[in-house]
Amino acid sequence: MANSVLAPARASEQVEITRWDVQRRRTWVLFLIPALLIYTIFMAFPLFNSMRLSFYQGQGLTPDRYVGFENYVTLFTNPLWRDRFFNAVGNTFVFFAIHMLVQNTLGLLFATLLSNTRLFARNVYRAIIFTPATMSVLVTGFLWTLILNPRWGMLNQVLEWVGLGALARPWLGDANLALPVISLVSSWQWVGLPTMMFLAGLLTISDELSEAARVDGASAWQIFWRIKLPLLRPTIGIVSVLTFIGNFNAFDVIFAMAGARGEPAYATDLLATFFYRTAIAGEHPVAQPNMGLGAAVATCTFLILLTGVSLWLRFGRGGEETLAG
Amino acid sequence: MLLGLIPSVSAQGGEIALTMGSWRVDDVAQMQVILDAFHAVYPNITITFDPTNPPDYNATLRTQLEGGTAPDLFYLRSYATSRQLFEEGYLEPLGDLPGLMENFTEAARAPWATDDGLPYGVPFIAVSHGVYYNIDLFNELGLEVPQTWEELLAVAQAIKDAGYDPFANASGDEWTIAEIVFMNIAPTFIGGYEGRQAYLNGERCFNDEHAVAAFQAVADLAPFLPEGQEALTYYDSQQLFLMGEAAMWLGGSWDIPFFESEAPDFEWSVFGIPAPEGQEQRYVTFHMDAGMGLNAAAPDDHKEAAKLFLEWMTTPEFATLMGDTLPGFFPISNHPIELSNPHANAFLALNEGAGLDVRWAWEKLLDGQPDGYTLMQNGALAVIAGTMTPQEAADALQEGLAQWFEPAQNCPAGM
Repeated sequence: MANSVLAPARASEQVEITRWDVQRRRTWVLFLIPALLIYTIFMAFPLFNSMRLSFYQGQGLTPDRYVGFENYVTLFTNPLWRDRFFNAVGNTFVFFAIHMLVQNTLGLLFATLLSNTRLFARNVYRAIIFTPATMSVLVTGFLWTLILNPRWGMLNQVLEWVGLGALARPWLGDANLALPVISLVSSWQWVGLPTMMFLAGLLTISDELSEAARVDGASAWQIFWRIKLPLLRPTIGIVSVLTFIGNFNAFDVIFAMAGARGEPAYATDLLATFFYRTAIAGEHPVAQPNMGLGAAVATCTFLILLTGVSLWLRFGRGGEETLAG
Repeated sequence: MLLGLIPSVSAQGGEIALTMGSWRVDDVAQMQVILDAFHAVYPNITITFDPTNPPDYNATLRTQLEGGTAPDLFYLRSYATSRQLFEEGYLEPLGDLPGLMENFTEAARAPWATDDGLPYGVPFIAVSHGVYYNIDLFNELGLEVPQTWEELLAVAQAIKDAGYDPFANASGDEWTIAEIVFMNIAPTFIGGYEGRQAYLNGERCFNDEHAVAAFQAVADLAPFLPEGQEALTYYDSQQLFLMGEAAMWLGGSWDIPFFESEAPDFEWSVFGIPAPEGQEQRYVTFHMDAGMGLNAAAPDDHKEAAKLFLEWMTTPEFATLMGDTLPGFFPISNHPIELSNPHANAFLALNEGAGLDVRWAWEKLLDGQPDGYTLMQNGALAVIAGTMTPQEAADALQEGLAQWFEPAQNCPAGM
């Protein structure tokens, strides 16, 4: 009985829903237009225009002479540009690796400690860890150059006081040390962000899982490795990909601490500083920027980012699904 | 009747307002003094000084020129950068400007003229280079101003032995090693203008004995730089000198106002880079920094008025006024001038009896890649760091320039 009453009703309802659905789908597209327009004008168009520009050369403000792949050939084969370019790519990978190793590992450690509800004054620690991320890179960079100054900087003096004066160095002047040192400063500044994300991830993991494990006799260490870390994999993936994007676009910290030339001797030159000199500022003292070549550098950076993110989507996401299933 | 009147009104009676572009944002008040003095001579012409942030100047000016909004008059960088603007037709040729040929030497006009000598800018500002020294510290240690390069090194050793830094210079800001160390010293070792021209016309290779000697001189100074100099900035160097921790500083005259305002009671003076023993001639890097150009696209009445200003720039009155108003920036004209600032006079006095020349890389060597500036900078840095010998640095300079600079390809090898 119930069936005979419901069946026709369901059928008519379905017809209505379909009509409503079609209408709604149209409206939905309407709502999308403003965002799409903004995205197209301010994101997609400049991106494609910059790619187009990389096939041009010219003295004026907008390069106007079509040269095909000449800019790329210059970038990859002319020793002047090739060496600088691959040096910048290499430095950027080192910069990224140090952030992954230091910033994100510390972030995970801090988040694990902060997720312990019995921890004394955990909000205070949380604030301390996050505060540097709220400050301008130019300010923190300047402060650190003062601290690291070999003449009147605090770091070398502290080393002196504790009897480690032999370790004192011109930290930002040594070609082997400058990049790691700046990477560490940058990691210090931004460690709050992965900490927050990992903390949010850890808080979504049900306590029951840890409880059950503990009942089964698992140690805190085992709980972390066997339960929490695997469940954090999606967060780790997101943090990694955000770090990757952030680091491959990093400019300000180098500009603040080592100058646009990536001093000393290009040891801290990243893709962004290399791009800045090529396309915008030019080399001192002539300052004749080469926009076409700069656009080629920007396009290469974009391709590296695209490859990295695609790899993550392919493999990182795969892991996520396995975990869910 | 009216028709006859109109042109004379526009030429003499009408008010004409000109604009002037510049990269010297620090000099707004000083330039106002100069422009007011001009206004007093030509009451119907007013000029507005409108400078742009230095790093953006070249790009901004180009945008303005391409878009037709450039100022009537504007500062010109020396050599290649302005030459390019002239070749693209943005600059009015000034071959017939009264006073220009008479009051400036050929060498003074060259940074703003074609190879044939056609000028497109009025030489405006030069900066001088030398060695700043702490008078009290020299007296305390019983030191005299060194007369030879060898004496300079002996003085440096004595200062080091007394526990001070001989030189405040450092390589944390790499450009300083190129501009105020290497190119300050170089004319003394390569033989000034004539020596430099010998490189530019292919008579000498860039790794000849003179070039090696110039890099060797930088190597001579390296042990006397402050500890940790690799990471000390330009500002740090200035402070080390002002605080009395370092006795000498290779620097440029443009810092006179900064030193005077930062430490008014500090007693300092300058001496020129001394020549090595056995060399009579002394040299000073007296660098042509800025010229004044006229926008080729300016309206005719503006051009007419602007030319009156440019002509005024060639007079002795202008030279004295400019030298006094902008201490550390010197007029380039032939007029003998008397300045009121003692420090500016001390710099100017270095020129007496010395051969004057611009910084080595500026003329021609910035026109290609790798440019001479970067090569000299990298060579000097490597010599200080001890990663290259002076010979290797000079070889790298020759090899780099030979990639595009024809005279370097045709120079007599084996020198």
